[in-house]
Amino acid sequence: MSAIELTQLITHILYLSIFAVTLLAAFRRATRTNVDIALFFGLAAFIILEQRLGSVLSLASDVRGPATTAVAAGLPYALLRLVDDFSEVPFWGLRLAEIGFVAFVVGAFVLRPVSPGYLTLYTLYFLLLTIYASVVFLREGRRSAGVTRRRLQAVGAGSVLLGLTAAAAAIDVLIPVEPVTTLLTQFFALASGVAFYFGFAPPAILRRAWQEPELRSFLAGAARLPRLPDTLAIVREIERGAAAATGASARLALWQETEGVLRFWQEDLGSRDFRPTGFAGKAFMERRAIYSSDVWRDDAESAAMYRERGILSILAAPIVVGERALGVLVVYSRRAPIFGDDDLALAQLLADQAAVVLENRALIDEAARVRAHEEATRLKEDFLSAAAHDLRTPLTTIVTQAQLIQRRAEREPQSPEELSGIRRLVSEARRLNALVVELLDASRAERGKLVGARKRIDLASLVRDVASSRAGDQRRVFVDADGTIEGDYDEARIRQLLDNLIENALKYSPAEGAVRVKSWREGSEARIAVEDRGIGIPPEDVPYIFDRFRRGQNVDDRRFTGMGLGLTICRGIAEQHGGRIWAESRLGRGSTFYVALPVARDKPATVER
Amino acid sequence: MSTEVFGRTILVVDDDPSILATVSEILESEGYDVRTAANGKEALAAVERERPSLVLLDMRMPVLDGWGFARGVRERGLHVKILVMTAAESARRWAQEIGADDYLAKPFELTDLLSAVDRVRHRN
Repeated sequence: MSAIELTQLITHILYLSIFAVTLLAAFRRATRTNVDIALFFGLAAFIILEQRLGSVLSLASDVRGPATTAVAAGLPYALLRLVDDFSEVPFWGLRLAEIGFVAFVVGAFVLRPVSPGYLTLYTLYFLLLTIYASVVFLREGRRSAGVTRRRLQAVGAGSVLLGLTAAAAAIDVLIPVEPVTTLLTQFFALASGVAFYFGFAPPAILRRAWQEPELRSFLAGAARLPRLPDTLAIVREIERGAAAATGASARLALWQETEGVLRFWQEDLGSRDFRPTGFAGKAFMERRAIYSSDVWRDDAESAAMYRERGILSILAAPIVVGERALGVLVVYSRRAPIFGDDDLALAQLLADQAAVVLENRALIDEAARVRAHEEATRLKEDFLSAAAHDLRTPLTTIVTQAQLIQRRAEREPQSPEELSGIRRLVSEARRLNALVVELLDASRAERGKLVGARKRIDLASLVRDVASSRAGDQRRVFVDADGTIEGDYDEARIRQLLDNLIENALKYSPAEGAVRVKSWREGSEARIAVEDRGIGIPPEDVPYIFDRFRRGQNVDDRRFTGMGLGLTICRGIAEQHGGRIWAESRLGRGSTFYVALPVARDKPATVER
Repeated sequence: MSTEVFGRTILVVDDDPSILATVSEILESEGYDVRTAANGKEALAAVERERPSLVLLDMRMPVLDGWGFARGVRERGLHVKILVMTAAESARRWAQEIGADDYLAKPFELTDLLSAVDRVRHRN
């Protein structure tokens, strides 16, 4: 086999395998572009097979010659159609090419034998179309990025080399300079085959290599993205990066959980929300990247919007972190994608990176929120503590001085008006005093410093004591606390806890409503229950009733004074004893507050601080 | 009746003049003989001079604080009951630390003051 024959064989194998690959692609996804690509290589394959097998099949040579010429005339026309698929060819250009095609097909059969004039015109037609196609491919390649760019450049090179092949073949026929013209023809044919191979059927390793620079530059940019001041700035950067990497326009939408919409941000910082029904919504909902080369048809609902913006093709890739879809990355273009699958893979890669960036951002935001919250809480604590602290000394003076004046006024009555005024003064000063004490206790409860030294006491007798001191003046408090329940408690604080609960029960129940106080032992726990038949607590408020400054929504603040810290303090006392406090309530029927405290084991605990 | 076992002289120690004035006035209205001091140093001198039965003691004061005063009392072998009267949350703890007889946490009311004084008076 001579070198020329070997070259020819390689060229033929290349073209035939490209035909196989493109035919498969056209079957898998019968887009116009894919069909036109397969058609182009189909024609090439026909010519090759005719050359190789024609003699074997012993077809009449007077049919074979013109047929090949006619089919070859179809090559540049098919190429032009392909160009038209993604970059519109002027109307007259297409028509002229069609007329030329028909003329050359007819000429191939009629003008026999082939005249030099026909061949010259034929070659010029071939060259013109392939060079035009090449220019368009290269131009589009410059506008694209990544794999698409390299593939378009390869196709552009292939086109011009195909034209040169035809020219060299014509020269070889008209003015053969052996072996230069033949060699040249074979060389151009092989080169065009290689170029088309890279363009239309690039191996995976090449695709990855071509994708790398764009992906790398996007990733380099992405690394600093989470540090940007706000999410919108990050969205903008991802869009910019995705646009640069794909050579198209890119938009990122974030899913708004509460509204159930995908939100896009406009150039003017305004935002537009979309229900996840359209094309982007489909990618988002189905969690897979999809593309449409004709979105006017595939997303009819929003066709008007796409038309208005001149968008023809769309690629949408979901941004997914684990099980959660954060949003969708949309890459759109005014032209159909020639290599949609590559762009789709790239878009999904970019969307995955966007997911990482956004998730990082969310984590950073969350951490900042937690820090800010902790800081705010600490400030509040410090403020409460400092304010209450400094209030105490002047308050002590005011209260005691006012009480002293009241006492004197009561002993030596002057004008009754003055006495009632003094009483008001005393009562308000005492109220203020109680509020400060409440505030301080709450602040201590918060810091776990509420409970002081504990001693072994009988909880049941303490309950009887506190309850009966209430029962004495109110005649509404019933006690059921038999026996003894020994434990190590801060007596003053447990007394305060019981007082608070009974006070609350009386406060929130009608004047004649009974309040029952019970204590009993349950396993290794002492239990206390304070039950009323009062207004109750709305179910939605029950979980928060022990939080600071919380009261049931059904509580009239004008009727019930106090800061709403009483239950917070109660919880602090219970928990700092290693116990629990909880409430059960039915709106309008009353509430029961339960306290569980640990009881004594064997020996009395040493006094703790 | 209890005046036989408990002298009528009380020393009030606080760096806040308004507390000093009010507490003095209240105790005086109850018939006590009240002396005042603005810090621990003054208080030690007053205890030696006046021999009060009870000291109402603020803990945080300039010059010499409540701890210093208590140490001074011990070192000089003075015998006086101490009622800690302080704005700190740790009134009880501090009272324990210096071996005081009782404590009164600010803010307090007139009756709190009188009953605390009564408690200490009736304690041996």
